[in-house]
Amino acid sequence: MIIFIAIAIMFFVGIYGMMVKKNIIKMIIGLNIVGYAVNLFFIALGYKEDGIAPIIIPGMEIKEFVEKSVNPLPQALVLTSIVIDLSVICFLAALSIRIYEKYGSFDLEKIRRLKG
Amino acid sequence: MNLIISPVILYLLSAFLIALLWKEYEKLSGIACLSFSILSLISVILLGKYVFLNERIVYYVGGWEIPIGITLMVDALSYIFLFVLNFILPLICWFSLSYMEKYTKAGYFYVLFSLISAGLNGILISMDFFNIYVFLEISSIASYILVAFGLRTEELEASLKYTILGFIGSTIILIAIGLIFGKTGTLNIADFTYIAKNINEIQLWFIIGFFISGFALKTALFPFHFWLPDAHSLAPSPVSAILSGLFIKVTGFYLLLRIITNIFTMFPESKIIILGLGLISMIFGSLMALDQTDIKRTYAYSSISQIGYCALALGIGGYYGYLGAILHFIFHSFSKSLLFLNSGAIEYRYKTTKIDELKGLQDKMPYTTMTASSGMLSISGVPPFGCFWSKIIIIISAIKAHYFGIAFICVVVSIITLGYFLKLQRNIFYSKDEFKTINEVNYNLLMPMIILSILISLSGLIFLPNLKIYIDKAVNVMENFKYAQIMEK
Repeated sequence: MIIFIAIAIMFFVGIYGMMVKKNIIKMIIGLNIVGYAVNLFFIALGYKEDGIAPIIIPGMEIKEFVEKSVNPLPQALVLTSIVIDLSVICFLAALSIRIYEKYGSFDLEKIRRLKG
Repeated sequence: MNLIISPVILYLLSAFLIALLWKEYEKLSGIACLSFSILSLISVILLGKYVFLNERIVYYVGGWEIPIGITLMVDALSYIFLFVLNFILPLICWFSLSYMEKYTKAGYFYVLFSLISAGLNGILISMDFFNIYVFLEISSIASYILVAFGLRTEELEASLKYTILGFIGSTIILIAIGLIFGKTGTLNIADFTYIAKNINEIQLWFIIGFFISGFALKTALFPFHFWLPDAHSLAPSPVSAILSGLFIKVTGFYLLLRIITNIFTMFPESKIIILGLGLISMIFGSLMALDQTDIKRTYAYSSISQIGYCALALGIGGYYGYLGAILHFIFHSFSKSLLFLNSGAIEYRYKTTKIDELKGLQDKMPYTTMTASSGMLSISGVPPFGCFWSKIIIIISAIKAHYFGIAFICVVVSIITLGYFLKLQRNIFYSKDEFKTINEVNYNLLMPMIILSILISLSGLIFLPNLKIYIDKAVNVMENFKYAQIMEK
């Protein structure tokens, strides 16, 4: 249960970084933290106390394996999710370099031109 | 049936081939993308026969049965979305052949175009929560990049805003998927709805709340709308046509529709939330559109208003409500794609979309003026153009459900819509200007617009008995189909 509370705190720290900070790089870091919080949430769903890695070693009984091993599906999902986060963050980093070239600043206060 | 995966495969193949081989040759990559999109349209047309004969096609990827593997499904409802999507995409690609000449590295545009199309097609055929999320992200990331494609300063800023908010929306959807997985241990939609009968109601309300807010952010319903005007008005015009005409409807509205009508069937109350959001965004979008100085911003706010109509019809429900929602989706996709392509044609000649700097287009660009008029009249709801039919059905549905106030507001918003489009027409098209000499745009830019505007003018034909059967089947899916039926067979 503690881990879910930690995940919730981590999530809101990330959201705080994205919403409140005026520096683009800090916003990207906040976004990264949000992504990690969600990934950790998925991993925590498949976790078992004293679980083993879901790999069958020769000589292991199937019944014992099913009881002990953690759920492998969330791990597969998180791999996909990490790739998606990576591509979003790569794109944002490239975008912030372009924005810096145009404005000479990472500060959102100086960048704002659009009304929204 | 392997035809079901062919649109996704064809567009992914197009993206990889262009990225690997032809990205340096701009003309060649454009023609390759166009031919792949036409192949995809042909495969969707061939698929239609099987869908309507068998009611639905279910495809097990890799031969794995339902709780284990990924399952794909096309039924009458998703087929209509697939058909509209695959019909408009080749036209937009055709338009881009000439329009993208002014950009450097147009080869990359076609790569991203193919990726966004593959993602949208994938969302429509998928029956697995996580698979939907992956396709959603493929198309979303491609769209973030496409918004910034011109690399002007405003475009970069719009893309930054759009990326951050889009990421938050996707994260909310992913959390909802995580909750579903934690609660039931399955990601398959059919399996989930089968198990969901035994789950505590409060937990389900929690999940549906996450889903509605995530998809409302993707659809740009009222409190979540503020990224849309920037992103849609600053992107290159073919991209705006995809985003406004297709992207927000497939990633947001279609999935919202599935969630409300087919997946969480145990909560009819959730429709009230959608109705409220739709009503507010309808009024707000049309009022904001009155006071814009840029054509594309007017169109973008108009999109918010019209997607509000779709959501409103979905919220009212019943046969007429669902029929109105589907028809408004179809006609608005055609009309709004046409209008954004049209603004692209104007931008191609005048290099600007500011209302003050454009005058007297009637004499200089007669065909552009004609197509623009048909699109604008259609969205304002003037007979016999497309959106008139869907709007009148939405009003009928509101009256049948005894929401007389809502029916009245629908009429008023429609009049406001006509107001801002007439203002645009008088200022831009039907005014006098003798100073600039500007010619009509070329064949590649003109033909897609003319095809779209002819289809809009003939859209009343959809009520012919031969065609209406198909729409009725889709409405029947929304009214009666539950994913759990697939498990019970």
